[in-house]
Amino acid sequence: MADSISVASQVPARSAAQVSAATDSVPWYIWSCLIAVISSVIGGAWDISRHESVGRDTFWTTPHILIQLCGVISGICCGYLILSTTFQKNPPLRANSISMWGFRGPMGAFLCAWGGVAMITSAPFDNWWHAAYGLDVKILSPPHVLLALGMTGIRFGTVILIISEMNRAQGEYRVRLERLLFFSFIFLFGMTIGIAQEYTFRFFMHGATFYLVAALIAPILFAAIAAATKHRWAATITTGLYTATHLAFTWILPLVPAEPKLGPVYQKITHLVPPDFPMLLIVPAIVFDLVRRRIGGWNRWAQAGALGASFLASFITVQWPFADFLMSPASRNWIFATNNFPYFVRPRSPWVLNFFVPTETSAAAFWIRMGIALLAAVIMIEIGTRWGEWMREIRR
Amino acid sequence: MRSRIQLLGLVTLLLATALPLSAHVGSPDVFYEGNAGPYRLFVTVRVPQVIPGVAEIQMRGESEGVRAIRVVPMRLAGPGSNLPPTPDLAVQSKDDPQFFTASLWLMETGALQVRVLVDGAQGQGEVSVPVPSSAQRTLPMQKSLAGLLLSLMLFLAVGVVFIVGAIVREGNLESGQAPSDSRNRRARRAMLITSVLVAVLLFLGKAWWGVNAADFQRRVDFFKPPAAALNFVDGHRLKIRVERKDTRTERAEFRSPAYLHLGDVIPDHGHLMHLFLLRVPDLGAMWHLHPDPIPGDAFVVDLPDMPAGRYQVFADVVDPRGYPWTLVGSIDLPQIAGKPLAGDDSAWSGAPLVAPATDSTNSPIPDGGHIVWQRPTGPLKAGVPMEFTFAVQDKDGRPARDMEPYMGMAGHAEFVRSDLSVFAHVHPAGSVSMAALELAQDGLSNTAASAQMPMPMLSTMSMPMPEAGPLPPEVRFPYGFPQAGDYRIFVQIKRGGRVETGVFDAHVQ
Repeated sequence: MADSISVASQVPARSAAQVSAATDSVPWYIWSCLIAVISSVIGGAWDISRHESVGRDTFWTTPHILIQLCGVISGICCGYLILSTTFQKNPPLRANSISMWGFRGPMGAFLCAWGGVAMITSAPFDNWWHAAYGLDVKILSPPHVLLALGMTGIRFGTVILIISEMNRAQGEYRVRLERLLFFSFIFLFGMTIGIAQEYTFRFFMHGATFYLVAALIAPILFAAIAAATKHRWAATITTGLYTATHLAFTWILPLVPAEPKLGPVYQKITHLVPPDFPMLLIVPAIVFDLVRRRIGGWNRWAQAGALGASFLASFITVQWPFADFLMSPASRNWIFATNNFPYFVRPRSPWVLNFFVPTETSAAAFWIRMGIALLAAVIMIEIGTRWGEWMREIRR
Repeated sequence: MRSRIQLLGLVTLLLATALPLSAHVGSPDVFYEGNAGPYRLFVTVRVPQVIPGVAEIQMRGESEGVRAIRVVPMRLAGPGSNLPPTPDLAVQSKDDPQFFTASLWLMETGALQVRVLVDGAQGQGEVSVPVPSSAQRTLPMQKSLAGLLLSLMLFLAVGVVFIVGAIVREGNLESGQAPSDSRNRRARRAMLITSVLVAVLLFLGKAWWGVNAADFQRRVDFFKPPAAALNFVDGHRLKIRVERKDTRTERAEFRSPAYLHLGDVIPDHGHLMHLFLLRVPDLGAMWHLHPDPIPGDAFVVDLPDMPAGRYQVFADVVDPRGYPWTLVGSIDLPQIAGKPLAGDDSAWSGAPLVAPATDSTNSPIPDGGHIVWQRPTGPLKAGVPMEFTFAVQDKDGRPARDMEPYMGMAGHAEFVRSDLSVFAHVHPAGSVSMAALELAQDGLSNTAASAQMPMPMLSTMSMPMPEAGPLPPEVRFPYGFPQAGDYRIFVQIKRGGRVETGVFDAHVQ
């Protein structure tokens, strides 16, 4: 590369890629970080469900521990990885590491370690927040956002660990890593969709705000994974995996008996309340993969415009009528889970009474916000594409 | 760092200026004495400082044979009052088997109840204790924790800047290549931009934190006793409304189900409003009156003969959901030639309260009799639940034999701190509102409800009462002083058709 200097004499005899290729096995730190991320995913879904079904009684619940384990596992593993890369004699990753404050390690390891510190910081912050202002029964609060930033750091760090290994790998090993990348990317989906959860309830699905939020969170991820891998069905595979994981929680959690420990109780609870049925993002993901292969010769912004418009059009086309279905009695079964409400939901809530809540005060406001959603989708496609292209270049 | 310190300063200021205010004034804890089936209980609910938060509950079985007690939080009435969560088992004291404690999450503000389920030698019993739940203050952050969090925040903020720099410098270099000068320059630019972004994010985060803190403070303010708008009209009438000062209060109205409209209040032991006028600053006179509602969310009362002066007003009402509110205000009145007292209205005047208060236990009443406070020996302590027992004697010093119910109960007591920061209107059932207690009965089984309150006055007497004839010459009030200071206690009973008021002063440590 033009802006780099060859220092072949400094390169250890065996690079990490050579080691991995020789053994054809995924490095231990990738598996560790994936386990950490999965721990927080299971813990997070379980924790939200527990808050909605049982209520919080202590900080030391199993789901809370699973969430914090994510920070602990990734912090310890990546801390060890950085220390060993820095201080070990001829460490295999030295040539594929970045340096910071005199330490060396893979880029993803630094991100994961940062995320671990952020997550662990959020625990005493969150506890104090509850003591000072009362337990916040909501997702978006400052300590929760710090926790989410930490989890995002770990999830993004894990993606970077995988993609840097993948970008250095060849053949079957690269294919295996690409599969792992798709798998790890669904957790970024889960993170962003989880943070936006309070804006994506089904009673908002006939408002422009819902589609604006969807345009802010989904197209960037579609474009990023597509640009990072060049796989023909990258967005479809990732969104499909995400949807399947979400459905697994929707269908498995209600199998666990539960009853509220806190009151007042407004809904009879006999089992863990599952997450809502996932948004039908799989449809715009398929459309995205189909459209982008046909417009590969267009200039960047024309591609972004076409992909953004097709995202919004296809998503509205399926989600709007599907929202009507979710409001109907036909959806009140274990498959679509619209007959499950947290214990604290009032009987006259739109959730329970199944009516749409307008998020715009007039038709003009609705269409203006829809226009903003279209613009957001286009810009997010472009940002996601640049992000994916950057990830494709990562080597360390 | 400066912003965090400013925030801590704000939090400390809020703590210093916020008084623990609730249904009464400055007296948020709930004291209740009543029957859970065959068992008599004295229940104290210490409402948490923040909501949702953990209430500490103390229960003493005053009947023998209580083996286990469970507690359940619910709404007082309406939705949320008929689906109990899993009860929490109270811990029985090893030293005193009749004493139980429990920690219970109160998840919502407004009119709640704690359902107390008793199991014992005589079977099961159940009682409902109304609890006005409100956030009272913001707790400050300890300096050590603030230092730790500040350090970690700086570490994270600086860390992300350097991580970005390292990524830009080396992230996409091939194995073993060292970064060139141009890459180093690009990395420095990226770090500068990231520093600005992190600073902006921290600034926005601080602003967001401030919004959250302000929102919480609004919730605290929301449940503070409303200011009473008082108007002296027609030369002898007092008109009472809720003071609405700013738009913030109006907005809050839409957020809470428990906001106060005087046109909606419900009767509380026979009256829609209990109005107390106290001459200030000496508390040397007190009127207990009962205004009538008038159109326009207001009440009006014809004042009796009153000397000119400044008067503190406490007006007790209960909203339709069972949440008790006390309107607070003060007014300067001229000399009034008013109407004679009638019905349940009453008055007292006498010696002023002089600080520091000299404890008094014997209060003469106009017919030559006395009300005697059977005060426990030793100093009175703030925060300690106790029973205030008063014996009524006739002019010959014998137990009064002509006691009658006064507004359905054996007696009423008002506890007032010398600086007016505490006002509590208490009955033999405790500090709970009688209207709330009646609402709570709807959720109990018929047997439990009749055991708890066949009639408010009968169940709330401290001693068994005959179905007819005079009441016992002794009345008890379960209560605890919320803070140290000088207090005046007004005890009101009814004898032979007359309302008598005894006045006692107490210094509380």
